[in-house]
This record gives sequence, structure tokens and C-alpha cells, in this order.
Amino acid sequence: MAKPTGFLEIERRDRGYRKAPERVTNYEEFVVPLGDEATAAQATRCMDCGIPFCHNGCPVNNLIPDWNNLVQRGQWQPALRMLHSTNNFPEFTGRICPAPCEAACTLNIDNNPVTIKTVECAIVDKGWQEGWILPQPPTKRTGKHVAVVGSGPAGLSAAQQLARAGHAVTVFEKADRIGGLLRYGIPDFKMAKDLIDRRVAQMEAEGVEFRTRVDVGRDVTLASLSERFDAVILSGGAEQPRDLEVPGRELDGIHFAMDFLTQQNKRVAGDSEPVAAPTGTLTARGKHVVVIGGGDTGSDCIGTSFRQGALSVTQLEIMPRPPEMENKALTWPNWPLKLRTSHAHEEGAGRDFAVLTKKAVGVHGRVEALECVRVEWVRGPGGRMSMQEVPGSALRLQADLVLLAMGFTGPRVPGLVEQSGASLDPRGNVEANDRDYRTNVPKIFTAGDMRRGQSLVVWAIREGRQCARSVDEALMGRTLLPR
Amino acid sequence: MSLVSMIGPRPNLLGHHAGTHYRLEVSQPILTNAELAKIRHISGQIGGAFRAATIDTTWVASEGAGGLEKAVERICREATEAVLAGRNILILSDRAVSAERIAVPALLATASVHHHLIRQGLRTGTGLVVETGEAREVHHFCVLAGYGAEAINPWLAFDTLESLRVTEGMPLSAYEVRKNFIKAIGKGILKVMSKMGISTYQSYCGAQIFDAVGLSTAFIEKCFTGTATTIEGAGMAEIAAETVLRHRQAYGDDLVYRDQLDPGGDYGFRLRGEDHVWAPDTVADLQHAVRGNAQDAYKRFASRINDQGSKDPSGRLLTIRGLMEFRAGTPVPLEEVEPASEIVKRFATGAMSFGSISREAHTTLAIAMNRIGGKSNTGEGGEESDRYVRLPNGDSERSAIKQVASGRFGVTIEYLVNADDIQIKMAQGAKPGEGGQLPGHKVDKNIARVRYATPGVGLISPPPHHDIYSIEDLAQLIHDLKNANPRARISVKLVSEVGVGTVAAGVSKARADHVTISGYEGGTGASPLTSLTHAGSPWEIGLAETQQTLVLNGLRGRIAVQVDGGLRTGRDVVIGALLGADEFGFATAPLIAAGCIMMRKCHLNTCPVGIATQDPVLRARFTGTPEHVINYFFFVAEEVRELMAKLGFRSIGEMTGRVDRLDMRRAIDHWKAAGVDLSRILHQIPAREGVAIWNSERQVHNLERALDMELIAAARPAIEKGERVRITRDIRNVHRTVGTMLSGEVAQRHGHAGLPAGTIEIALRGTAGQSLGAFLAHGITLDLQGDGNDYVGKGLSGGRIVVRQPFGSGRDPSQNIIVGNTVLYGAIAGDAYFQGVAGERFAVRNSGAVAVVEGTGDHGCEYMTGGVVVVLGETGRNFAAGMSGGVAYVYDPAGQFTDLANTAMVDLEKLSTDDPADDPEAPVAEPPSVTDNGMGDPLRFDAQRLRLLVERHARLTGSARARALLADWDRALGQFVKVMPRDYRRAMQELRAERNALAVAAQ
Repeated sequence: MAKPTGFLEIERRDRGYRKAPERVTNYEEFVVPLGDEATAAQATRCMDCGIPFCHNGCPVNNLIPDWNNLVQRGQWQPALRMLHSTNNFPEFTGRICPAPCEAACTLNIDNNPVTIKTVECAIVDKGWQEGWILPQPPTKRTGKHVAVVGSGPAGLSAAQQLARAGHAVTVFEKADRIGGLLRYGIPDFKMAKDLIDRRVAQMEAEGVEFRTRVDVGRDVTLASLSERFDAVILSGGAEQPRDLEVPGRELDGIHFAMDFLTQQNKRVAGDSEPVAAPTGTLTARGKHVVVIGGGDTGSDCIGTSFRQGALSVTQLEIMPRPPEMENKALTWPNWPLKLRTSHAHEEGAGRDFAVLTKKAVGVHGRVEALECVRVEWVRGPGGRMSMQEVPGSALRLQADLVLLAMGFTGPRVPGLVEQSGASLDPRGNVEANDRDYRTNVPKIFTAGDMRRGQSLVVWAIREGRQCARSVDEALMGRTLLPR
Repeated sequence: MSLVSMIGPRPNLLGHHAGTHYRLEVSQPILTNAELAKIRHISGQIGGAFRAATIDTTWVASEGAGGLEKAVERICREATEAVLAGRNILILSDRAVSAERIAVPALLATASVHHHLIRQGLRTGTGLVVETGEAREVHHFCVLAGYGAEAINPWLAFDTLESLRVTEGMPLSAYEVRKNFIKAIGKGILKVMSKMGISTYQSYCGAQIFDAVGLSTAFIEKCFTGTATTIEGAGMAEIAAETVLRHRQAYGDDLVYRDQLDPGGDYGFRLRGEDHVWAPDTVADLQHAVRGNAQDAYKRFASRINDQGSKDPSGRLLTIRGLMEFRAGTPVPLEEVEPASEIVKRFATGAMSFGSISREAHTTLAIAMNRIGGKSNTGEGGEESDRYVRLPNGDSERSAIKQVASGRFGVTIEYLVNADDIQIKMAQGAKPGEGGQLPGHKVDKNIARVRYATPGVGLISPPPHHDIYSIEDLAQLIHDLKNANPRARISVKLVSEVGVGTVAAGVSKARADHVTISGYEGGTGASPLTSLTHAGSPWEIGLAETQQTLVLNGLRGRIAVQVDGGLRTGRDVVIGALLGADEFGFATAPLIAAGCIMMRKCHLNTCPVGIATQDPVLRARFTGTPEHVINYFFFVAEEVRELMAKLGFRSIGEMTGRVDRLDMRRAIDHWKAAGVDLSRILHQIPAREGVAIWNSERQVHNLERALDMELIAAARPAIEKGERVRITRDIRNVHRTVGTMLSGEVAQRHGHAGLPAGTIEIALRGTAGQSLGAFLAHGITLDLQGDGNDYVGKGLSGGRIVVRQPFGSGRDPSQNIIVGNTVLYGAIAGDAYFQGVAGERFAVRNSGAVAVVEGTGDHGCEYMTGGVVVVLGETGRNFAAGMSGGVAYVYDPAGQFTDLANTAMVDLEKLSTDDPADDPEAPVAEPPSVTDNGMGDPLRFDAQRLRLLVERHARLTGSARARALLADWDRALGQFVKVMPRDYRRAMQELRAERNALAVAAQ
């Protein structure tokens, strides 16, 4: 901390967006970097707290004050090394992480956190640009073989850690491209996909073998992997979407968000329509779109819909409208529940809270409208919140396309999980603790959403790294991989 | 102080060749590589007086941990052989460290050789130089020195600096970088030496003034002979294992350490670094608990701290009490345990000064403690007197504990009478041996007013109390304070260390009502880094020793024992009580409850939560409330109750000193904890009939015998009705602290302003006992014809003291001492005239009093921050050392004063003579009030001011010297020297500029 009064002198300034009318014409990233100098100035605001809450707020425990200090002194390369020492893929988190670190920042006590995520992204982007990020192949091979099933952020970080520790790692992916949700769940305008390709190339050079279009559990049995590999990590995510169980659900035009988003990402990647949409094209063009679910996936559906040419987009959330501002005294440094307005909302979506969908209605098997009712949340005996419909509050929403973005209930059980024989926890996730990540089946480990349920990319990276350490320790008797 | 070190053999002073011996002198002990090379190749130079030998202190990595012990033996053997072979400088070197060779920890190698050679009677035959990659922080150099290193070459530190210089593109030369490092380390070593009261490196070298915490006796005896170790612990095997581990991190292929080392986390929390009790989760849980009054969050907080050594959550071991467990008793129902509202009365908040923390934070703590019947502490910065008046809603912002520290800032008689406890801070657990420091930018107008200082001028509390050089002196100060406020308990704050029990016994015998044993865990964020990690000792060690010593000597019952330093939870309190504490101090935890987030930037005035700052913008960010603090203490008290119910105690009194109910935690799952043995801490002194183990008796202060009893009775009409009274008494040296209890009575009624000048005039004849006129209030004049003793006018609070030559003595006042040492120490207001010479340390830390004296001993006006001192005769050495305010005039006809003054912070000037007499800022004949000594603008009016004071001195004492000077005034004036502190002048000029700017703006 070269400047103790930096936070008093320099205003918080974060990356801006390109204007909405301009950005909705394409699928390119629209966040505008600050540039080296302005980023370094922002890093100067860091106070190098005696207790850096950000460091603990960050699931991968990024050494935030330390690299802020380096950036502010123009030491980008050491900053990059330090950043990579805790996070395999800062270019992913630097784009799509909701930044719990910033929520935990001491300066967030009065709503002016250091732009940690922006600094992180600037460090790693600069690293790629300058050619500082190179493969780090192991100096020694252990002769051990590890299979990673699922190539989302958990699988990728585990694979990279294990490969660098000298193990021969094979990543199996059922889709045609590597990346899991990073590839097909997150729209290109939020994160360009060449970022994944670049990492895949790095990892290949580090010895990781990638095998796409292999659905373990269907194309090959898990048992056969168990035989061939010394350890298997299940990192297949929490793919089971929560469904809308209302009359009319079967109508055409009501789809899960992932089906919709995946098609678009494939189109952007250059796939032909039959490849991108083998079960038929889903598009928002010329339609009134209703997105059910108020989270990040909902936002992604909104942004994609506008880019496809939707007439209108409305987002429904069953929970009441959260406060604009959290009660800092009782939440900081934890992640606050508060109203979050994403870039997608700025693009023109309407939002409604505390709305329950009762029924989908349509003509000729095609959805035309949703019948909804307003709800109230009341605290019942025992403190549990429960929902009550507000009498006389029924409303009807025109809807040509309904996208369900209501979260995920857990991993898909049929196939891989079923075959594994691994026991599930009460929430339906594959059971393992966050110390050793072992399932109850010998040699089988699990990490990421498959173990902890739907979560953030940054949590997946943490789990992948920690799981890799446990695997390494199991295979070698000791490990040098960090937790 | 001096860093000069002598390398090489010590001569036999009684031998035949005494006086012909060569020793190598270095101006300071840190050697550059080049300097070490010179020493290494010194053989053959200087007539062959020196013959150096280098001993390799590394061992082959393939031997693993087992190799350490062998290596140490080999090093010691080689040292013996080298000395016997006539080598008289040994260089212990770990330069050979590599992937294949592990370095013996430099301290272990040094201390082992040092003691090995002592045992063989060979140590004085050789010098010991250490060439090591390990030493980099001040503490490292200090322990090496403490265990015998006469010089140290930190080669890796130099290599690292050079690499940093290049990679960071520093605009400094390699030489400058090295020079800066050496200078910084040298200053650090001096600071540490000063804390221990040692002034030369040669005395410090080999003095081994360290306690070991967590090392086994066998290991200590072998390698660190004579060092105290209380709790046993690791030995050679554990040290070896840890050394190998470190070596592996450095040379292994660990991915994390491929390019750089971990940030470590010693000074700031880092996840993979050193464990800290205060971590993000504990801070957040505590704050959420107190703000939302949420028991569950408190429980989470407490269990994170209490459940140490268990598998879950992380099994972190943090404190010695974490290694303890309770011995079960017969539980009692919770309802039968004394209520929390009673328990909290035993709680106090820590001594954090107003100045170090904001008024908002300070008053929040005070209001909270007053509401629950606990005690808050002023710290050493005085207190604004408006806080003595209750607020309209009944709250009180008055701090129940008034601290008296070495700086004596704001210690007036009014301050003392507004106390329930008066705490003498001998030292501070977090930074023992150091005085407080308030940087100039935190001294705003208000802070300066409360501390009787100058805005913008930094304030330094000297490490020692200048009126305490022995336990008798401490007893005297206790007596003085008791006289100032007989209703208050007098407390002495000590720092936990091996040997503190003896000090505590002395304190109890010195009739203190209360003693605080302060542990190292607590700490201010402003503590210097050198004090943060290796200074102080855990309170468990000091408290146990205190209890044992006091009980053994039958001194426990009459004194209350308080423990502080890192108390956080109810379990901490219970363990403190079982180990012997009656009362409990908390500092950091309540501050965190009020919003502190442990920025550790307290010294920068940039606290973002408005606590450790005086900046109004930042202070506005303070969100703490008394309720937060109260909630915290009640959570703690309820946890205490639950534990008491389980253990079967109904009151804290029953529980105090019941160390038999503590045991060492079995099955501690940590490889380094295996050898720990707490039996010395958990030892219980067998009960004896009539010997209390808790504070159940009272001290006898003998105040009823004081002369002041008569004075108060005689002065009643003055105190109550403002009538003028004249009292005449004979005085003898058994009459100590005369005038102080009377001043307390005055201040009780009339505050700091006291009575109109001269309301109570007391004429005394004879020889006064110590502390004549201590804390004398405004409106009281003591006119002693005779002799004063030590401490005359200590803490003078507005009164006037005149000491004249005894009737018919016929001695020469300019050659004879009339008042003793440490006169006017910490004086704040008032004036004093001594017709004779004062002893040493005259007017030290004077911050506003005016004094005329006819000569002084050494160290006059040291650390002075205000007021005016006139010396009409000779001074001793070191005059004006550390003086940052006020002015002094010294009559110096012989022109010798320049050599006697310490001019590090002051300029010596001619007096100004041509100032206008009718200026509103000119001095006036008599002091207008207790807050205005009538001395005018200190930058001008020297001649007027001096004349006025010399005339007053002549009038009050009849001084012949004064008359003589006045008789030939113009010549005399030219022979006076003005002592002007530079910082003070700057601050005064700034204030004047500000006034002028305001005046212009007003026009």
C-alpha cells in the first residue's frame, strides 16, 4: 500500500459497458476495460487491511491486497503469477464472477469497494496479451492416470492442477466442445469462447488429453474408467433444471433456459443450424418473451432474447423484490441479498417480483400467455417464510416464448451418477466432504456443482483445485498442491 | 546509546599482557559482504592479531531431520577445536545452503556455540560472527545478538534487496539500498535495546534477555542455557522437522512456491499463512451478533475461538489456554449462578487514549461501561472535562479508570478526582517497554487542549516514568495518587513475563489496591511491527506466576488482580478467574463490537470506520453504539455463567484462584504440541489458614496520619465559601505529599479552575517529605522555608510553590540543592520558584507550568511540551532532550550551556528584546487563570517575559541572585540563552498564520 489515503482521494471507477442499442446488435463482449493506468489507480484504493475480508470473501482466496499492491506499482507480471497461484482461470472469474470479494471489501461498508474484479481481469488479460501465460508442463511424470468427467470450471481446474503435478489426465466431455456451462450456459457477450480455447490449448500442452462427445455412463461405463484410471473425478455439474409444474407446461414455446442458450452459443461458434439446434430452432425473434426466474441465467436469457430480436422481454421472480440496499451492519462482509440490476435489464427488460405462474394457456398447442397471481411472503410459526396468494391479484402476461430459468435441483442422476454407486446427500448432490472430496466409492472423487449443488464458477474452481489436491495426496501419499 | 561492537577475544584484564590486546571495533554490528570478507581474510594482517575461522552450519539434506542434532554437535566441536588452535574470530556460516544442504537455524547455531564455549571456558577467547541468510527482521538480529553474535552478515537480505532494487527499478544505488537497510536495522536494534533499558550493543550482546515460550527445558539447557521457559514444548526433533519442512518449501518443486513465497500472514491475515484469532469470520460474527443481538452469531464466534485443538473446524491452536480443559465439578443450576449483570461489573475496557481513538469511539465505550457498572479506561491522553457531567438522558461519558502513564498527559488533579480507579501504566502488554506515540497529524486542536500540548506537534510518552526508578518510587507514586483521590483504587499495570510475580508482590507491598497483568495478545494496531510479533508474553504465564507468588507471600487478599490482553470469550474469562484473576480487561473485542475491523492502520489517521482517527470526515463513518458494546459484554457474561454452572461455581469469587479445576487438554493433535507441559502454570499453592486467594481484604494506606487532614480542616472556609485562609505549620520529612489531598478536595468542588489565586496560603517551615505539592490545585500557595525533597510539584495543577532558603542557613543558594530530583514532573499549570538548585530531571514533561530555579542537575526540561522554565544558574548535561514545546531561558555567563544542551530537537537562540509592551499577546504580571499562564506569545517578548519572572522570583523568594541580575539587567539579558524547540516554533507559526488568515477573512 503505497498510498494510505488512496481510498479518500480516488473515486471508485469501474469498467463501463458499451451502449445498449449498440451492443444488442451482436454477441461480442461489451465490457470496456479501464486501461493500465486507470486500473492501477483503482488498485491504489486498496487499503491493505490488517484483516483483508476480500481475501476470505473470495472462494479461491485470491491474494487481493498483494496483487493490488503489485498492480499499483506497475508490477503486472509478478501480479499475474500471484493471481495464478490461487486461481487457474482469472479471465473467467474476471468476467462473470459476481465478485463476493467486492462485497467483502472494507470499502463496501460505505458502498465503494475496490474494483477488485476489474483489477483481476486486467492482470490476466494483460498476461495473455503480453504472452506471459505459457504452458507449465510438469518436470516429472508420476505415471498415474486420472480421469475427469465433465469439463466445466471444476473439471478444468482439477485437470490443470493434476497435470501440473505430473499425472496423466484425461478429461471426458459429453458435449462437442470443452467448457461445460462456461461454453454453453454463458452467452458469448458475457464471456468470449476463445478464452476457453486458449486455456484448453495451454492444458493440452501441459499434457491434458481432452475427449469430447463421450458421455460417460452411456458411451463408456464408469466401471471401465475406474479400471483404466487410478482416480476418477466426477465434475458433471448440477444439470437438472427446476421445472415449472403448472397446467399448460407441455405447450410448445416453453423451454428450459439452457436449451435456448446452448443453441445460440453454438450459432455464434459457427455451427450450422442443424448442428446448433438438432431438436428445432428456438428463437426470440419477433416474440414476446417471458423469462421465469430472476437469477443470472434469467439475465442471460434476456440479453440473448434482445439480441435475437425479441419484441419484449419480461422477467418474473417468485420472491419479493429485494431491498435496493442491504443492511450493511448485519450482512457485511458476507454476500448481501439486494436488488441487482444487470446489464440485461438495462437493455430493456421488464421485471416483476412476487409473481407466481399458475397456468400456461395457448392455442393449437402453442403458448400464448401466462396466467399469474401475486403472492405475499409471510413468516409462519417457527420462522419459516411461506407464500400466500394475494386474492384478486390475478394477471395475464402475453408470452410467445417462455424460458424457464429457475435454477437447478442437482446433478442428473441417470447414467453417470447412477452407475457410480455414489451415495447422494439429502439435497440430491453426490455426497463428499470439502476436505477430501471422496465419494463413498473407492477411487471416485467429486467436485463442483455435482457435489455442492448449483453455484458460482469461482466455487467450482475452488472445488476443482482442492479436489485435485486430495487426489494427488491419495495417489502419491503426499501432495504439494495448495488447497 | 551505541551500536559499537567489539569482535574478537576479550583480554584478561589481570593478565601479563593486559593492555596490549587487539580487538576489532565495528561502528555497528551489521556487516556487508565486503566487510565480512575483510574479517574472513584478516589473518596475516595487523601483525597477525586476528585469525578467523569459518564454520559451516549446514548439513546434508539426505540425513533429513536426524541430521540437525549431529550438525549442532559438529559445529560446537569445530568451534572448540578452532579456538584451541588459536582462531580468535569464528564465523558461523550458512552460505553453503542449497538443495542438498540444509541450514541449521542461525539462532540455534549461534546460541549453541556461545554456550558450548562458555561451558568450556573458551568463550572470551574468541569473537563470534554470524553469516546467515535467515536474519532479516529487527527481532532476528536482536536474538542473534542476545545469544552472543558480535556481528552479523545477513547475506540473503542483501541479495534480496539488490534483486528488488533491480526489478523494481529503484532510483537508488546498490550502496544506498544496503546503507538504508543497515540504518533501519540499527535503529530497530537501538529501539529494542532501549525497551530493555540497555544502552550499548556490547551490554546487549550475550545478555539473552528473552523468555522462551514453548521450548523444552532439556533443549534450553543445552543450547540456550539460562533462558526461562515455562510451558516446555518443542525440542531438537521438532525444530529439525520444521527446518526440513522449510527447506523443502524453498527447494522443493511445490507449485505455489515455484516463483514466489507465500505472503505469510504474520502481520496481516492470509488464509494459508499464520493463524490469527481475529479473522474475517470471527470479526463478522461478533459484529453481526452485537448489532442484531443475535446469540447464535455470538456462539459461532465464541466456538471459533474456544474450540482449539479439536478436529473441527480447523483445529487451529492459538493460545496457551487453548491447550487447557476444565476438570468437571458438580454442576449447579444456571439460575443459582450470579446474574450476568453482576459479572459484567468485573469487566473493564482497555486503555486506549482519546487521541489514539476518536471521541465517538471513546465515549461509546465509556457510556456502555457506565451503563453496566463496568469500567472504561481513559488511556493516557487525559479526558475532556465536559465528560464529567452526566448527559441529560442520565448517561455518563466519564471513564471510571484514569490512566497515569509516563507522559502524564492531562493528568491534573481534576482528572484524578474524577476516577474510580487510577491506573499507573508501567508497561503495555502489546508493546512492553515502549511509550505511547501520537503522531503530529493526529494531534488536532482538541486533542492538544486535552493533553495540554501544541496542535500538530507529535507526542511521545517516554518509556519510563521519570518518577519511578525503584519499587520505593512506585510506592511513592501510589501514595501520591491515593492522596489525590482517597476514594479511588490505585492500580498498577504490569506486563506478563517470567518474573512478574515478584514485581506484583512488590506492588502489593507498595499498597496498590489493584494490579493488572497484561498479556501480549492484545495490541494496538499502532504497535510498531517489532513489537507486534515477539514482544510481551501470554497472560496465562504472568497471571499464574502472579497468583502463585502473591498467595505464597500472603499478599493476595489485599490486592485485586485483573488480567487483560486478548480476552474475547466467556471461556477466556473463566480460565482467567481460575488462574487467579478477580477482574477482566477487554480492549480489542469491545472495539470490534463498536465497529473496528482491524485495519491495523491506527497510526495513519486513516481509519475507515472512524475509530482510530481524528479526521472529521472519517469520524463521521463511526457507526458503533453503546448497545453494541453492552450486548457483547452480556454475551460474554452469559457464556461465563453457563460455564460456571457446569463447573459448579455460583460466583466469580468462588471461582477465583481455583486452578485445581484446570487441566491440560489431553490428546492435542499437533506435532509440535507433544512436549508442552502446563504443570508450572497449573500449579496450586497449597491453601493456608487465613491466606486469601482472592481480593477479599483492603490495603492500609495510613492517610489519616497525613498533614493534609489538618490542612483540609483549616481550609474548609476556603473550599466551601471561598474565604481566604492562611495556615502556618512546621513540616518534617515524614509529611509526604503535602497539599495533595487538599487539592483533591478543591478539585472535587471547583474542578480544574480551582480557587482564585492565593485563596489558601500555606506557610511551611522545615524539611518537606517527598512529593510536596504534588498535583497542587489552583488557588493554593505552598510557601516552604526550608528544603524540598524529590518530586516537588509533580503534576502541578495550577497551584503555586515557593521554596526558600531555610532561615539563617547562610549557604550559597547557587551551589546548594534546595529541591530534589524529578521536580515538576508532568506539571500542567501553575508556577514554582526555588531559591536554590534543583536535582536531576527538573521539569521533565512539563506542559504548562512556569518555573524559576537557580540551577539544575542533568536532563532538565526533558520531553517538555509547554510552559516556561528559567534557570538562573548552571544546568547539568542533556538539557532539553526530546523537548518539543515550551521555552526555557538559561543564564549562561560562562558560555558553557551549548555543550550541555541536547540540541536534537531545539535551537539555542538570543532573546528578543525589542517587542512592543502594549501588545495583546505580551506577557502579563500575574497568571490570569489556570489555563493561561500569562506568558504571552512564546515566539516574541523574551526580554519582557524573563524580566517579569525574575522580578517575581525575587519578590517571592528574596533571591539575591535575582536581585543581582535585575541590578545589571541589560548586561544580564545578553547572557541568557533561549531554548526553543523547532517543532514548537513551526506549530506556533502555523497557528499564528491561521489566526491571521481568520482575522483577514473576518474583515
